[in-house]
Amino acid sequence: MKLGGPIEGKSVVGLSGRLRRLRYKGSLIDWAAYLFVGPYLLLFLSMKLAPIFFGIFVSFTNWSIVRAPKWIGLKNYIRVFTDAWVGQVWTNTMLIALLVVPGTVVVSLLFALYVNRRWLLSNTVRTFVFAPKAVAITVTSMIWVWILDKEKGILNILLSSLGLPKVGWLTSISWVIPSIAAVTVWWGVGYYMVILIAGLQDIPEELVDAAHLDGASDRQVFWNITLPMLRPALILIITLEIIASLRIFGQVQLMTAGGPGGRSATIVSYIYSTGFQRFDLGYAAVLSLLLFLTTMVFSWVRFKIYGDVDY
Amino acid sequence: MKRRKAVNAVKWAFGLLVAIVWIFPFYWMIVTSLKPESYILASVSLVPEVFTVQHYVTVFTKAPMVRWFANSIIVSVVVTLARLAVSSMAGYALARMRFVGRTVIYLAFLGSLMIPDEISIVPLFIWVLKLKLDDTYWALIMPQLAGAFSVFLYRQFFLTFPRDLEDAARMDGCGSFRTFFSVVLPLAKSATTACAIIVFSFVWNDYLWPMLVSFKEPWMTLPVGAAIFNPVGFQQTGSQFGYGTAMAAIVIVALPTLAFFLGLQRYFIQGITREGLKG
Repeated sequence: MKLGGPIEGKSVVGLSGRLRRLRYKGSLIDWAAYLFVGPYLLLFLSMKLAPIFFGIFVSFTNWSIVRAPKWIGLKNYIRVFTDAWVGQVWTNTMLIALLVVPGTVVVSLLFALYVNRRWLLSNTVRTFVFAPKAVAITVTSMIWVWILDKEKGILNILLSSLGLPKVGWLTSISWVIPSIAAVTVWWGVGYYMVILIAGLQDIPEELVDAAHLDGASDRQVFWNITLPMLRPALILIITLEIIASLRIFGQVQLMTAGGPGGRSATIVSYIYSTGFQRFDLGYAAVLSLLLFLTTMVFSWVRFKIYGDVDY
Repeated sequence: MKRRKAVNAVKWAFGLLVAIVWIFPFYWMIVTSLKPESYILASVSLVPEVFTVQHYVTVFTKAPMVRWFANSIIVSVVVTLARLAVSSMAGYALARMRFVGRTVIYLAFLGSLMIPDEISIVPLFIWVLKLKLDDTYWALIMPQLAGAFSVFLYRQFFLTFPRDLEDAARMDGCGSFRTFFSVVLPLAKSATTACAIIVFSFVWNDYLWPMLVSFKEPWMTLPVGAAIFNPVGFQQTGSQFGYGTAMAAIVIVALPTLAFFLGLQRYFIQGITREGLKG
């Protein structure tokens, strides 16, 4: 930063005049900018940045709402390594993500291809596939609790009318995670489909026509033109979906409350039950940092594999 | 031509599958809400044999649905308007104005998009309790105002905004604020609509934070409150309601958003595709 222009004599200009002439990287500073950016910056500092630092402080205490907090050093951090639940909820979250991320990418890609070329059903399909994303997670979860009910749910009634046994979709250890993953895919694909449709429409038609003229089959066009051209959009939805599935909470809380026996509890459900049901807030703060760390690791791995994403 | 027919058959079969998997659950929700509880449990029929509105009566008498609806509207509208105001200004400054610290501020905002919101729920919850703001609109609204994605949406928009208009306004003697509010912002309608719709539907459907800070029923939002009808029956809620009542409750929650979505579908989709990838 340097003062712009010669400073003339014993200023008639005064402080405000001098400020007005202050230069930053060669051009005049626009002081009104601080008034423009100020309100949001204030919210950002108080609602985003300050809580993170306070949360780090809380993680070193035994904060709970019933007694005065005491500094306990690294105890909460050490607890993470001896707490069997941490491994359990972390594994559950990874398993759900492992099903949800590829499931969402494949299904939303299928829908995007299906809807992209206009025909009779394309608008209807697009509308209905997107609809679940427009309603609250409470609605989605409760609908599926009813459909997947072991005794009276329509899915099991349908299965048993076909002579198949009834399945405890949300109550058996082996089915609970696939069921939650399926509902999550059902809920979210519409959003990603829309992103992919935009990607598909950016592919120049001449390119596809030229390939067809050169005798390329539909399959060749898909693998050699469509898919590579969709790469940025696909990377974007993979990134978004990884972050989203690590944070899964609402559908689990509402459909199984983490059961049976904690087999569907996710990282965020564990943060919730630790911090807000047992009010062990110090430990919950450590668990949130663990979630943050997990997200960072995944983002870094994704970055290493695919490079930067252009938002 | 044989192949073409096969392709068409696949297309229709796929459409039918979508209809069953994506439309049927909503249909089933509505049908169940209109059947008497005894019929719901006794048989499976795709249309109600006996109609009843009893479940809707139960929902409205057992729960302050109107109050929850009002809470949801107040919170969503205030958050949306406030965020449009602060983030349009911040986005404009980041895109157009020169000032010391712009890069640092920009990178801080960008970095915050990568951080899961859950990291701040413990500290914010402690503050809410310390300041005795639990069961108030303050607690429901304030933390929602700092989302950075709307700032980016505006910044991207203003980066491609033609400079001539601003220069013309300056020539006419408008200051920065006059230029922004009477010339630039009115022409940013597409960014504003996209941002408004995405923020509104996000806040309207939000679950975790409003659940944490509303202890008493009158302060719940619709998605949080409706969960008392959840038949899963957690230890903490011990729901005694049947599926009919549960479905009636979520029909009431879903209808306004579904209507909102169907009415504004075009803008929803434009918003997501053109600018709001980070919904």
